[in-house]
Amino acid sequence: MNILQTIPLNHYIMLSALLFSIGAMGVLLRRNAIILLMCVELMLNAVNLLFAAFSVHHADGGGQVMVIFIMTVAAAEVAVGLAIIVMMFRKAGTTDINLFDTLKW
Amino acid sequence: MTLTVFYLLSALSVFSGLMVVLSRKAVHSVLYLVFCFFTIAGHYLMLNAQFLAAVHVIVYAGAIMVLFLFVIMMLNLNLAAEAQKTPWIKISAVILSGLMLLVLVASVKGAEELSAAQPQNDIGLVKNIGNILFDKYLLPFELISLLLLSAMVGAVLMGRKEPQPQNE
Amino acid sequence: MTDLILLKHELLLTALLLIFILMKLGKDISNSSFLKMSNALLLINFIIGFFGNQHGQMFASMFQTNELMALQKNMLNGGLLLISLSSSRWLNNHIHLPEFFMLIVATLLGMFFMISSNNLLVFYLALELATIPLAALCSFDLDKRQSSEAGMKMIMSSAFASGILLMGISLVYGVTGTLAFTEMSSLIASDHLTVFALILLFAGFAFKLSVVPFHLWTADVYEGSPVAVTSYLSVISKGAMVFVFTSVLYQVFKPMQEVMYQLIYIGAVLSMTIGNLFAMRQQNIKRFLAFSSIAQVGFILTGISGFSHTGAASATFFILVYVFSNMAAFAVAGIVSSAIGRETIDDYKGFYRTNPFLSWVLAIALFSLAGIPPTAGFFGKFFLLSAGAAKGNYVLITIAALNMIISLYYYLRIVRAMFMDKNETPIGSVNLSFNERAAIIICIAGILISGIWNGPFHTIHHSVTEAFSITPF
Repeated sequence: MNILQTIPLNHYIMLSALLFSIGAMGVLLRRNAIILLMCVELMLNAVNLLFAAFSVHHADGGGQVMVIFIMTVAAAEVAVGLAIIVMMFRKAGTTDINLFDTLKW
Repeated sequence: MTLTVFYLLSALSVFSGLMVVLSRKAVHSVLYLVFCFFTIAGHYLMLNAQFLAAVHVIVYAGAIMVLFLFVIMMLNLNLAAEAQKTPWIKISAVILSGLMLLVLVASVKGAEELSAAQPQNDIGLVKNIGNILFDKYLLPFELISLLLLSAMVGAVLMGRKEPQPQNE
Repeated sequence: MTDLILLKHELLLTALLLIFILMKLGKDISNSSFLKMSNALLLINFIIGFFGNQHGQMFASMFQTNELMALQKNMLNGGLLLISLSSSRWLNNHIHLPEFFMLIVATLLGMFFMISSNNLLVFYLALELATIPLAALCSFDLDKRQSSEAGMKMIMSSAFASGILLMGISLVYGVTGTLAFTEMSSLIASDHLTVFALILLFAGFAFKLSVVPFHLWTADVYEGSPVAVTSYLSVISKGAMVFVFTSVLYQVFKPMQEVMYQLIYIGAVLSMTIGNLFAMRQQNIKRFLAFSSIAQVGFILTGISGFSHTGAASATFFILVYVFSNMAAFAVAGIVSSAIGRETIDDYKGFYRTNPFLSWVLAIALFSLAGIPPTAGFFGKFFLLSAGAAKGNYVLITIAALNMIISLYYYLRIVRAMFMDKNETPIGSVNLSFNERAAIIICIAGILISGIWNGPFHTIHHSVTEAFSITPF
């Protein structure tokens, strides 16, 4: 069974473009810092899906290895990001990014 | 048949992705995101990337999202309704991301001629991934250990409550 | 395993990282003795960096190094040593001193791998290794709200930027089917998808370099972070990004020079102009230096736009000059901030009365940043602009020259405030420790020597030519 001959590669690109744009929209739309991080995760997942599809298309394992590493990096990023958010919450009592405005020109 | 499954999965992932962005409560967003990750794992399975599917469920849905859920519960964010951005910012956010999508789709139109290699089905199996991961991709594998180490130092440093300065 | 000498810089830093962890885990040592030891270790690391540099590739050619890269890594090593020396006052009073060194060495390691990467996977991982601990460092003033805010803005914007960068990488991977730079450069063709992928990649780079449409995080993060971290961000992190930018640009995207030129052109003009215009109206000295560094990036891009060996050499030389000049300016700002706690430009009025030495240092550093002749900054800018002019785009050069004049105005504004303006409550005089004095004197010597004698430039130019002739691109 050969998936990529039944499903055109373009479908995968379209799907991940859609998910990526939804994630980007979330980053621009929401004000809660935790949800911003989640939207970034959504963007990374769109990219991961694209990597996996390209990897199968090119019959090259590199793309799938890349996905594994992106997941690991995302875990590290989320750990540090959430630690900073928790620290910020202790000081400011909120996770609303619009209220984090002590630095402003 | 496979095409139908693909469309179904894609519709589910797009729907849950949209709900992540649109739901008002943080916990709902997390749950929709977990759901979205499961559909993406389904996509990996369809691509015969079995190892990725397993790792994806374990790492993303299992570890990262639990971390999110844990923080949201700990900070008790679910009670307070999130303040909204002004309508203008919302409209421009939607327009901007729509434009991004449009440009992506338009540029893919020219990519029909992506060179057609012979798709091989078993590169995503655990054995083959393991072989290249510990052979060709050894350096990144070592590098990621340092990244995790330093991220751990940073997270522990900030995550714990500051000890009060000793007055003894 | 004689190959391991190629990994020398990276292995040394990894060893340093482990030593710092062991020192933290071992018995309690006082901050001042820890600082002494870490400075000694950094010095040893810096010195060893000069010996036994070879060129070659390792790990299935994912890692490459040559004399130029060794030189760039040495510059960054030296910069870290200078930061550690000049901010010893702040470091001495911080309860988490070992963690600071662990995190900062980890980011430097990431930058080294980034410079040496020959594969997009290694490049991405190294970039993240250079960014994630840096976000933790930005919020290192654990009890200050501003510092946490800076850390949060840093991690949010860098996560978003790496998402965009990854999208670009994945599209490039889709078009070429490989992640290795060497194979990629021969497979790249300029169709629509590749152009779009290139734009996404450029956007990701521009975020990290704070080129203008993507600069919004810069000023906030610079202002909120501790001064040591701010100078690290603006000098070392930016310098590493410039090095990588030149090598990726010259290696991978050679077939797409035309598109790349347009992007760099727009980025350079916007960065110079907007950076300068915003720098004029700043009151906080860190924020001021942030916007001035955005403007400096515009000049660097002007030099890079030349697409020649001279362009790469002039960018590298400018980073050398920039390390000295910006580090001197940040050293003064950091010393004043941690000793007196004042950071606005108005506070510097009458600074000469109380601190003549520090005022001269700051004045020389600002002259160098502005590009006034006896200092190194003049040569730095001169080489950059002449490399940019080789392309024949005189509009760009004219805009750059006009911007130099504007920048002269605001740099001299601070000099005037220090030397001429009167102030009822000037900053009290500051006693310099040995470390601080050493760091400042090294910076000033660097500024003056490379301003008079342009030997370093020829060394760099030579190694650039050599490096690009070794690697088969």
